[in-house]
This record gives sequence, structure tokens and C-alpha cells, in this order.
Amino acid sequence: MMADGAEPVDDVQEDGDVNRVDAEVAADDDAGNRRAGGTSLAVVRYLLDAIVAEPEAVVIDTEERSGTVRFRIHVAPDDMGRVIGRRGRVAQAIRTVVAAAGARDGVSTSVDIVDD
Amino acid sequence: MEERLTLEEQGEAARVFVAGLLEQFGVAADVGTRTLDEETVEVTATGSDLGLLVGPRGATLAAVQDLARTVVQRQSVSRTDRILVDIGGYREKRSAALRRFTQGVADEVLASGTERALEPMSAADRKVVHDTANEIDGVQTRSEGEEPRRYIVIELAD
Repeated sequence: MMADGAEPVDDVQEDGDVNRVDAEVAADDDAGNRRAGGTSLAVVRYLLDAIVAEPEAVVIDTEERSGTVRFRIHVAPDDMGRVIGRRGRVAQAIRTVVAAAGARDGVSTSVDIVDD
Repeated sequence: MEERLTLEEQGEAARVFVAGLLEQFGVAADVGTRTLDEETVEVTATGSDLGLLVGPRGATLAAVQDLARTVVQRQSVSRTDRILVDIGGYREKRSAALRRFTQGVADEVLASGTERALEPMSAADRKVVHDTANEIDGVQTRSEGEEPRRYIVIELAD
């Protein structure tokens, strides 16, 4: 009895964060897409390649936590204006479309354009 | 950078962009273009499972359209024409509903003689309302307020 009860307790202590366990379970359910945020990452990459003049300078840092995928984007200095757009309109459109892609993976997303 | 693109070339560039985006989403769709007038081209994507790309009140669709315009502008040195994107027939259904709504409000204004202020709408929606109302005898429209809360008033024609 004691041993049966102890096992799940160990699991919880190891993972610590209940939300993270849920996110992993949800990702595993999606057999076609093992990596959480796979669609949103592909979409971020696609959008940036289409918008910037120097696609080879694009760097996307991905950070996953508690069902949220955070993209930190670096582009060539000359491409900053293109990616942000007038009054941030392009950046906002990127966020909206990436959020829709994240919904397909069952994750929330955030997109930061980093001024290096 | 290319020189000035023709309307057809702009439409094709937008079509390629939208088709590639849908592919990244993993949704199957037919993506085509149609010329609406001499300076407007519409990219239309049809298929099932496109609701995610329309989004709440068409917000995702509006973002896709913004991005399609950005991408086409990047390929053209001079100004570009009007590029519209419709996904899953959303814009068409929305404008049909707006036209019916406008007709209904115009009928009320004609019957009562009292002007009616509508809810704030996007510029694209306002254009549909203006165009519809201005074809109805006896009423006219004006816009009031500042973006994004700009709205239309339908009133009796002078």
C-alpha cells in the first residue's frame, strides 16, 4: 500500500509544475506533432522569411513554459522597420496569425521582436 | 526589389504567400485570385477547416490580409493596389449580412424620418455600408468619430 501511494507523489515532486505536466500530456496526444508549438514555430519562420530582406539574419529563440511558447525574434537592423510596421501593425498581425497557429498545437504564444 | 508590379503580378504574389501560409498551418485549401476592379485584386482560399484562419470576428483573416499586403509591398518599389484576402468565404458572407442589415436600417430611417447611428466598424465594413446605402433612394450616410471607434450614421437624403 505504501509503495503504491508513494510512486505518483514522487512524479509530482519531480515535475513540480502541474501545468507543465498537462502540457506534456496534451502534446503527447497530438501524435502528428510531438514538439509543442511546432505549427507556430513553422508559421513564425515562414512569415519572417516572407517579410524581411535578409532571411539568413533571422534568429528565433523559442522558450516553452506552462503551455506557452515564447518566441524572441532577432532580425537584421534594416529589417526591424519591416517586421514592426507602421504603428506596430505588422508585428501585431504576426502575433495574431502565430496565436492561431499556436491554437492548432494547443499552446498560447507570445512574440517579442528584440532590438539588439 | 522589382519594378512596379501589374495588378495580376501583385495578386499572384499575394496568392503564393497565402497558399504557403495555409500549407504551414497544415490545412488543405484551394487558393486563387480574382480581379474585382482595375485596382483591386482578391485572394480567395476555400476549403474545410479554415475557421482558425478567420478567427473571432475575422481578426485572423484581417491579420493575414495585412501581412499579404506587406509581403507584396516588399516586392514592389512603387505603391501597390488594393489587395483583399478572403478565407472560407468569410468576407463574402460578412458583406452579404452587412448589406441586408444596411437595407433594414435604411428602411427604418425612411419610415420614421429619424437618423440612425450604427455601431463602430472597420473601414472595410463601412465601405460596404456606404456603398449599399448610397444605392437606396431617399437615404444618405456620413461617418463620425475617430478610429477605431468611427461609425456611420444613416439619415434621410437632403
